[in-house]
Formats: sequence, structure tokens, C-alpha cells
Amino acid sequence: MAIDLKVVEQLATDQASLKAAAGLARPGKWSGIGTSQDATLVWGECAGSGANPYRVMADLRDMGSKCTCPSRKFPCKHVLALLWLDAEAILPFPPAETPGWVTEWLGRRRSAGGASKPAASAGDKNLYAARTVEPDPVEDATATARREAAGAKRAQDTERAILGALEALEQWVGDQLRLGLAGFIDDVTARCRRIGARLVDGKAAALAGHVDELPARLLALPTDDRVHGAVVELARLVLLVRAFRADSRDRELRRAVSSIESREALLADPAVPRVTAAWEVLAERVSTRRDGLVSQTTWLLNLTEGPRFAMLLDFFPASAGRRGSVFTPGEQFVGELLFYPARAPLRALLVRRDPAPIDAAPLGWPEGGALEEALAAPLLIEPWAGERPVLLPPGRIGFDRAGAPWWQPRKGTLLLPLAGSAEGLIAGTDLMRAAALWSGRQLEMLSAHTPWGRIGGG
Amino acid sequence: MAEAILDALGPVLTRWTIGGSAISAAPTGWRDALGVDAGEAELRLLALSGHLVGTLALAEPPGAVRTRDDIPVLAQPPLPETLRPRARRLLHGLRETGPRRALLDFLDARGWTLHPGDWMPGKGDDVPDVYAAWQDWAAASGFPSSSPETLSAESWDDFGPAARHAAFTALRLRDPAGASELLAGKIAGETPDRRVRLLEVVATKLTNVDRPLLESLAGDRAPRVKALAASLMARLGHGETGGEGAAELADFFPVQTKGLFRRTRAIVPREVKSAAQRNRRTALLEALSLDAFAQALGLSPEDLVTAWPWGSDVTADRPFATMAARSAPDAIVAAAAEALTTSASADFPALVGLLPRLAPRQRRRAAIALLRGRQAGFATALTIAGGGGGIDDAIRMPAGTALLEALGAEHARPADQASELLSLGLLASRTAAKQALDQLAAAGLIASDPRLDMLRLNAALEHRRPTE
Repeated sequence: MAIDLKVVEQLATDQASLKAAAGLARPGKWSGIGTSQDATLVWGECAGSGANPYRVMADLRDMGSKCTCPSRKFPCKHVLALLWLDAEAILPFPPAETPGWVTEWLGRRRSAGGASKPAASAGDKNLYAARTVEPDPVEDATATARREAAGAKRAQDTERAILGALEALEQWVGDQLRLGLAGFIDDVTARCRRIGARLVDGKAAALAGHVDELPARLLALPTDDRVHGAVVELARLVLLVRAFRADSRDRELRRAVSSIESREALLADPAVPRVTAAWEVLAERVSTRRDGLVSQTTWLLNLTEGPRFAMLLDFFPASAGRRGSVFTPGEQFVGELLFYPARAPLRALLVRRDPAPIDAAPLGWPEGGALEEALAAPLLIEPWAGERPVLLPPGRIGFDRAGAPWWQPRKGTLLLPLAGSAEGLIAGTDLMRAAALWSGRQLEMLSAHTPWGRIGGG
Repeated sequence: MAEAILDALGPVLTRWTIGGSAISAAPTGWRDALGVDAGEAELRLLALSGHLVGTLALAEPPGAVRTRDDIPVLAQPPLPETLRPRARRLLHGLRETGPRRALLDFLDARGWTLHPGDWMPGKGDDVPDVYAAWQDWAAASGFPSSSPETLSAESWDDFGPAARHAAFTALRLRDPAGASELLAGKIAGETPDRRVRLLEVVATKLTNVDRPLLESLAGDRAPRVKALAASLMARLGHGETGGEGAAELADFFPVQTKGLFRRTRAIVPREVKSAAQRNRRTALLEALSLDAFAQALGLSPEDLVTAWPWGSDVTADRPFATMAARSAPDAIVAAAAEALTTSASADFPALVGLLPRLAPRQRRRAAIALLRGRQAGFATALTIAGGGGGIDDAIRMPAGTALLEALGAEHARPADQASELLSLGLLASRTAAKQALDQLAAAGLIASDPRLDMLRLNAALEHRRPTE
């Protein structure tokens, strides 16, 4: 059921949406496009400004639609672009089995709510105007010089503000030691909130977010572990501050302290490492932070060559609604990832994803290295970093006297404590291979291969 | 080496816990690196200690770490991999115990189980016997994952409780007399809950051979066990009879003879004049056995069921049905079910009262009768039939026609009729499920509609074992 291009024009809420959609209605932006066997549903995945792609779907019977992007516009530019692709046959829409995430959306729809009604005034919207790319206005030399100078001053002010905030942070850390960690642990939420606010004022937004989540991390530890945990957390802050002072231009340090590079900046930088490989989706995690942002993290395992793991991380405001999942845990795909520059690269963006090869046998997991080294190495390279993924050799979950779960290897004696509890299948089977997050203190299982098949994923 | 340094940091951490400078407690080899300035030295000590503790210190468990046994492989295999996502979606939507049990029974009837990665039964959950081994594993009672082959007096204690119950049920079907004798010897050693559950199994294939067992339980210290033993005795015709109660009850239900040639007897209930009277009548029905009631009326139990005016007064039907379920033999209960379903206005609560005594085949027949007689929608029929499923031509029944009409109606909303479609999916035979999907597609439902999940699972799932 190819739709009429006029419908796209009518559905758009304004010309800006149409223009944005025009920019997205291009082959390079989309993967996983398909339509249901009866041609009533269309879907696809679009590379957005986030690390994870957006999932976009539409019901052509009533033009109901859904996109996982955080936009408040309805329909958003991604939906318009998807429909545009269909209307002008820019990309083929192969008939396929309806994916689970589309079926789930269908199940949640109420009739009128999901359907877009054509916007009332079509007068000021023009599809063809949307497609013309306007040249950027030419600036004269003086205006350019003025703009650049203002930018430089702003950067200097920001730098000063950050350094001031970091000094306050170190002072605060010293205070906690002086006052006693027992008291710190008891009052951790209030104390972190105060220094967090100071960091926000000082434009150290990323570090503020990290400090904001410190109480949750600390209180998740067993009571006996919390003094150790506090020492580790505070030490990390000091290490980061000093590293930043030593080289504030370092991109990884800037990312940890102030803000992350934009996707566009990263794409435009030829020096940024790009890795094309076969990847497996280990797990997805969605969690709400104290500041109300919802973080969506996808962990990937490299099945061929390059950095062993990748982490796709996005933040959404809680008001953007329920986050649908973006990948199916266990799925394997060939894709190009762009890694944020770092000493031990982990955080990445998905640039391009190939359609899955037909009839491909699943690729096996690579061998992990020596475990103790794998656990310690990333934390030694980046002393301020938190949890890192690790591949575990064959092993099994066991329980200590108190009933707390531990991972133990089939060969060797290295026991690693698990965060949380281990119930059901994972506690009653061999874990032939497993991937987990290691915090320096506890393991959080991501997924595992067992004689019963693959488990885990979120 | 790491251990030595970590030990040396003990005093440092203690100092910081209480509050104050820990420099003087720092490991000797670090003194130079800390420098002279006090504040600076403290932070450097923190950075070094924290980094070390966070990177190289691995916790150790208190005492030994023990693994649990492997989750046992069940007698029936888990669902094929391709059907697991659909099953997961269904499980997610089936929150209540009734529909969830129906799904488990449905899968069991086809010869499959759920995958342990998708679902495992909770300790006390009422689930098909095939999952008994998982229940015992979850209870972590330390029982071995594979039970001995046969249940006997010697091997009784080698079984986990859920596996033992399942084995006893199987033994009862094979060798009712042997099971009765075994239980007589072992029942005293069980908890009250388990005694009740084991005694419930004896209700199957109940005969006079079970009298010694039942008589021995007449004085059981648990009231539920006593009551159950008494009701099983009543089913054998050895319950208490007579007395004023029976006569008083008979008085509420005079028997008349109708017809000129075929002199059929019919009960024409006396009109109830007050709530107090009705309550008294109900109380008597709840206390007496059907045998006693029949005797007081001068009828055989079979004739009583035939003569009963089903559908004329639900406040009498319901307790009478429960009386039959509690105290009548299987054949009488089956006759009552038959009469109820064929009567002009079936009262579902009354029929539900009989369900615990009906075999799956009888339940299915009752459900089919109701569906054919326009009296029930699929959801109600599912309550009657249970998850065993296997009803042919379901979509062609009146409930099916009504469903198709409702779905095709102008104001039909995406979530409408979800419960009917789910119930239809659980009731239909595999062929009937495919038929239904075709008809529903013609009525406008798209294939990807999640309301069709159960029908699609049904249509895709092979029979691993022959249907009844």
C-alpha cells in the first residue's frame, strides 16, 4: 500500500517538521525497513542524534504512528521521513514477519489517540520547499571575527568556572575524610546533592550527574562494604580532578567532567576510530536517574575484530514517555560503530547497520583473556571509570553461607560476588560463557550461554 | 603483594571511618610520594588507597560457596525457540492465576512445557504435575534432581514433596489399591497440608478398597483432613444418613409424580417465605450428604438428580451442586453436570461447583454443550473446560459468530474482545485455531494483531502426544 506524498504533507504539523523529514528521507539514515505481509504496517530504524537508533513504525490504515525519539511533535520527523520513503519509493520495503516491537505497540494503541489527523491548515506547508536546501547565509569578515572572539571568551569563562568547581570538589572530599566516612555514609544523599549543585553551577554537568548517582551506587553495596565503597568513590573523584587539571583538553576527561561531544562533531572528525564488525547485543538497560533523566544503555559484544565491547548510551527526559527497547538481546548484526575517543574505548555511536544476512549461523563468542587481568586492566588505564564489561570463562553461580550469590569458574579459584540476587535458571545451570559488568567490587550479569540456550538481556 | 598492602591500609581506613588525618598510618613505602603539605598528602593517600582497593581488592566469601543442583530436565520438552517470544508476550499479559493455569494446561496437553528461562513455578503454585521437579528444585530442599523410579514405602522419603505428589497421583491411576495401602502407612508422617493434598488424590478411582484408609482418618487432628475423609466416605455411600436434618430438607422439596403413561417423578420445591427459611434450606444442603437427602425423599441418588428442577431456583441449584460435588459418587456428579448443561438456563456458578469432580473430557463436553446452546461466550466456556483445549469448529459456534460481529462493528476499538480471543485461542483445537484465524482475517483483523497471539501459538504448536 504505497501512500500518497500529499498525505505526508498533510500529516506534518509545520514546515519545520517537513524540512527535517526531508533531511532524513535518505537511504543512509535507515536500516531494518520492512512492511507486514498484508502491507498495513511499515517500520524501520533511523539513526538519530542519539547513540541508539530510533525505532519508527506506522499503521497505514489510519496513519497511527510511533517513534522512540523524545520529540513532542506528533507525528515526529522520523515518522514523516519513513512515510516519505514509502511514498516516493526511495527505499524498498520488503514484506517481512512483523517484529515483536511493532506488535507490542499495536497491543498498546487506543483507537483515536494513535491516529494522526491531518493538521488543519495545510496552507503554510510545502513539501517541495522543504526539499530545497538553502545555502547558508554568507557572513562578512567583521561579523565572523566578532563571533569567534565571543566564542573564545565564553570558552575561557567556562574553563574558569569548571576549575573553580573542581577545587570546591576537592575541598569537599577532604572535608568528608576529616568528618569521618561513617557520618558520610549516613548522610550521603544530602551531602552529594549539595556538592552536585555546586558542580552544576560551575558548568561541570557530567561530573555533577556522576556525583548525583553516587549515593545510589554506595547504598547498593552490602553494609560491610560501604567504607571501602566510599573510599573508592571519593578516590575516583580526586583522580579525575587531577587528570583534568593536567590536561583539560583531553576529550575523554572533558566528557567525564563537563559535556559530551555532539554526534555531528564526532561524525565530522576523521581521527575518530570507526569500527566495522559483527556485533551481538548482550543486554539493554533502562533506568531513571535522580535528576529525572532516563538512561538507555545497550551493551554490544564484538564478534570479529576491534574493541571487545561497545556501549551505546542515551539520555531522555522522563516526560518523553516509556522507552521501548531498541534491540533484541541476542541479535547479531554487522554494523559500523564510531567510538568516543578514550584510552580504553567503550562508549560508541551506531553509524550504520547492515540488514541481517539471511540463513546466517550465529557467530560464536571470542575467547576471553586471563580473567584477573581483564578485570583490572580497564580500571588501571582509566582510574576514574566505573563499571566495565568483561567476558567470563566457563563457570557457575554458587551461594555462600548467607545465601549471597557468587560466580565461580570451572577451573581456578577466583570467586566474584554478584550484585543482587540470582534466581531461577541462572542459579541451576552451567554458564558456558558469560558477559557481565564488573564494578571493581561486584558483577552484574548481562547474558550467558547455557545448555538451555541463551539467557539474560533485560 | 596486593594483600600485604591492603592489610597495611587497614589502619588508614579505620582512621578515615572515624574522621581525621590518616597520613601517619600510611604505608611506609608511600610516605615520599605523599609529599609534605598535609591537605595535599591526605588527598594523595586517598587517591592511591581508593584506586588500589577499587582495582585489586577482591572480596572473599564467608565460608564455602556451594552450587545448587542443575535444574532438572522435565518429562516434556520446552517450547520450540521460535515460539518463545510469543509465549513470553502471552505470559506477560496473563496476570491472573486462572488464565495462566489454562495456558500451562494447554501446553501440557500438547506435550510441551515452558522454557525455564521464561518462567518457573513458585513454591506453592498450583501447576501441572510435569513441573513438580522444578518446584522441588526451587524449594531448595536439597533433594536430588532425579527422583527414584517408583514410589514405595521404602523410597517415600527420597522424593521431594512436589515430585512425591506427582508420583502418588500416577501410582493411584495405575494401582489404586496399592496406592491406598501405601498412603495408609505413610500419611501420619505428613504435614496437614500435604495430608489433605494426598487424600484429594484418593478421590480418583475411589472404591470400597479405600474404606480402611478413610476410617483411619476419621479421627485426624486436622479438621480439613477429617472433613475430606468424611466426604469421601459419603461418596462411597457410607456417610451419615437420616436424622431430622434430612427429613427437614426433604420437606422443602416434595416429590410429585407427573404424566399419565410415563410416570416421571419431579421435585417441585416449596415456596420459600423468608430469608431465614432460605438460609436454613441452604445450611441443610451444605451439611448433608446427597445419599441422606435422597433416602429421605425416598429416591435413589440417580433419580434425585434426574428429578431435580435445574434452573428454576439458583439459590437451590448452587448448594445442591456443591452437595453432589462433596458427597456423591462420580457417576452421579457426571449426571448432574449433564443435566445442568442441557437445561434451558444453565447456572454457571452451579456448574463451576461441580468442576473439581469432573474429568477433563467431561468438562470439555459441558463446555461444548454450553457453546452450542448459545449460552456461553468463550471466556465462560474456558472456565468450564479448563486449558485442555481441543474443541473443534469453535469459531462456527454462536459465540464465534457473535465475536466476529463484534469485531466487525463500526466502533470496534483495538483492545476490544481481547479476552474472548484469548479464550478462543486456549479452547480451540489446532485445526479450529487455523480456521478461526482465517475467519478473523476476513473480518478485518490484521495478522500482527497481538490479540491473536494465543490463536497463532495454538495454530503453530505441534501435538507431541495424541489428544484424548
